[in-house]
Amino acid sequence: MDHYTDYSSFTGALIGFVQQARSHGFPAGIQCSCDAVATALHGIWWDLEQFEFALAALFCTDKEERERFRAVFDRFWKPKGSRVRQKTEYKNQKRVFQQQNRIAVMVGTGKTTESENSEESRNTSGANAKETLKKTDFSQLTEEQSALLDELAEKLLREMSLRIRRKRKKAKKGAIDMGASIRKNIQNGGALIDLARLKRKKQRYRLLVLLDVSGSMDKYSFYLLKFLWTLKSHFKHIEAFVFSTLLMRITDEISEKNLASALRNVSQTASHWSGGTQIGACLKIFNEHYAKRFLNGNTLTIILSDGLDTGEPDVLEEAMQKVRLRSRKVVWLNPLKGMQGYEPIQRGMQAAMPALHHFGAAHNLESLLILENILTDA
Amino acid sequence: MVSNPKELIPIIDELGYVIEEELATVLFLMLKLEKPLLLEGNPGVGKTRIAYILSKLLDYELVRLQCYEGLDVNNAIYEWNYQKQILAIKLHEHSGKTTREKEDLIFGEDYLLKRPLLKAISSDRPCVLLIDEIDRADEEFEAFLLELLSDFQISIPELGTIRSAFKPLVVLTSNRTRELSDALKRRCLYHWVNYPSMDKEIRIIKKHLPDIEERLAEQIASYVDRIRNLKLDKAPGIAETIDWARGIALLNGSSEAMVQSLACLLKSDHDIKRVMEDIF
Repeated sequence: MDHYTDYSSFTGALIGFVQQARSHGFPAGIQCSCDAVATALHGIWWDLEQFEFALAALFCTDKEERERFRAVFDRFWKPKGSRVRQKTEYKNQKRVFQQQNRIAVMVGTGKTTESENSEESRNTSGANAKETLKKTDFSQLTEEQSALLDELAEKLLREMSLRIRRKRKKAKKGAIDMGASIRKNIQNGGALIDLARLKRKKQRYRLLVLLDVSGSMDKYSFYLLKFLWTLKSHFKHIEAFVFSTLLMRITDEISEKNLASALRNVSQTASHWSGGTQIGACLKIFNEHYAKRFLNGNTLTIILSDGLDTGEPDVLEEAMQKVRLRSRKVVWLNPLKGMQGYEPIQRGMQAAMPALHHFGAAHNLESLLILENILTDA
Repeated sequence: MVSNPKELIPIIDELGYVIEEELATVLFLMLKLEKPLLLEGNPGVGKTRIAYILSKLLDYELVRLQCYEGLDVNNAIYEWNYQKQILAIKLHEHSGKTTREKEDLIFGEDYLLKRPLLKAISSDRPCVLLIDEIDRADEEFEAFLLELLSDFQISIPELGTIRSAFKPLVVLTSNRTRELSDALKRRCLYHWVNYPSMDKEIRIIKKHLPDIEERLAEQIASYVDRIRNLKLDKAPGIAETIDWARGIALLNGSSEAMVQSLACLLKSDHDIKRVMEDIF
């Protein structure tokens, strides 16, 4: 039932609408239903527009939801004749979905069965093999090694996040707590002998990762994305974006508990996988739309890209400067840096270099684990 | 009071705020359901003004808490007046009071410095509590606010729980520099305040500068509208538009005056250059 005429009473329809909104992802709780009914009791329902305004204030929690709300509201409350538009919209959605599915297969998330060989090789791998694996370039990995690497990465990252947390805890004493000191010293007649100190405030820092998924990064982007997912499960405040010719936020997609479905989510939404590279333009878009929200001067920004930009270097340079201004630290990890004799002489890399605090490699697990030092300082 | 949101529009207009039906409906709902209101929007679109207008409308006192990074309970709710406490301890050194009595003395209400939140809760008159730029405060503080917004009571370990006699009307504003928690949003009515339409902006300019020529006001609004579409570092808000209009009016309203007083509207060298190139 998705139209108010399907219900016999007004309250019934209203509750039906709350459920409808819920199924469209609006965070409408029971309180919300009560408030909606209360709203109607105040007489706000005979003016359809006003009714929409009121319900939107109750149901929506951000600007994007507000924009989506209109369609859900119209579908339910507008007379039936005006619903044709939605049907075609739905058809379009379906087509987009099929298209995305194709991309998912392309990225290689379709395979779920693990080969038997990997089980065998897992049993034979020792400490030495692990060391080798850490140093193997992502582009040279075989399928079995790749599965092993996932396991190893997970373990090492877990250890890493634990170490970082411990290091942070071991901080210096904080400032004097006047209130507690006085209370403590009442028995001394108010003379402050024994001082109480505040606990030092935990430093809030955020992590922003921008991952290049353009064609030239194909060999690496899949592993880096996995790495990102693992990172996300250990560090709370991560924002993640992928870019090639377009920029896309994937924080919600990689929040998924299950790696396979997280990857599927990303590939379904990222239609620009394996495209060209417009780092400058994408960063510009980032600065315009997201920077104010996600960069707060206390953010560690990590860019994972090979820096083979096809756009104008000026645009990239300006965008990088802006990112730098809003971040605590900017780190660029480049898979190509793992190659012998690599020099950052491409136009894109040259333009970005002045804005960087750190320029590192990202071609194997070991190079990614070096991040620990950076994350601790951040 | 009013029985329909539409009735609010002329009343609020009278108070000097040009309001749209959507926001009027939300305010109406806020008064009827007694829920906090969360206003989000770009800087300078008149979010904070709404709290002032509400307090004028209802003749309530306005209590304002400006949030900033590192804002803690001491600065938001209460703090003991330590200097006064130390003095009191010294004064009563030889008064023969027991430690217990001394403690009761220095942890009494005389020694309490009320910060905005406690002021709003313990007020004996109904008030409008404006929590401005909540997105700047830390997440811990946000979590604390949650408790406050659901119970409207504050516990002070030394004094006990203070409950509000009148539930304050709470207005929260955010520039969306970070996402607020869902839990907080769930407790509030939500409204996104957009930049005004051209027509609305003309009305706002005329409201603030009643003597301005109709044509000049239109011109200003249309320029501002175009400037906002330029994707500048800092798009001008309504306050800037009014400043600009004022500046132009002072400088005899000619077209040179528009360029000369651009500093009222744009706050960065880069932006001024962009606008000079693209629009003037």
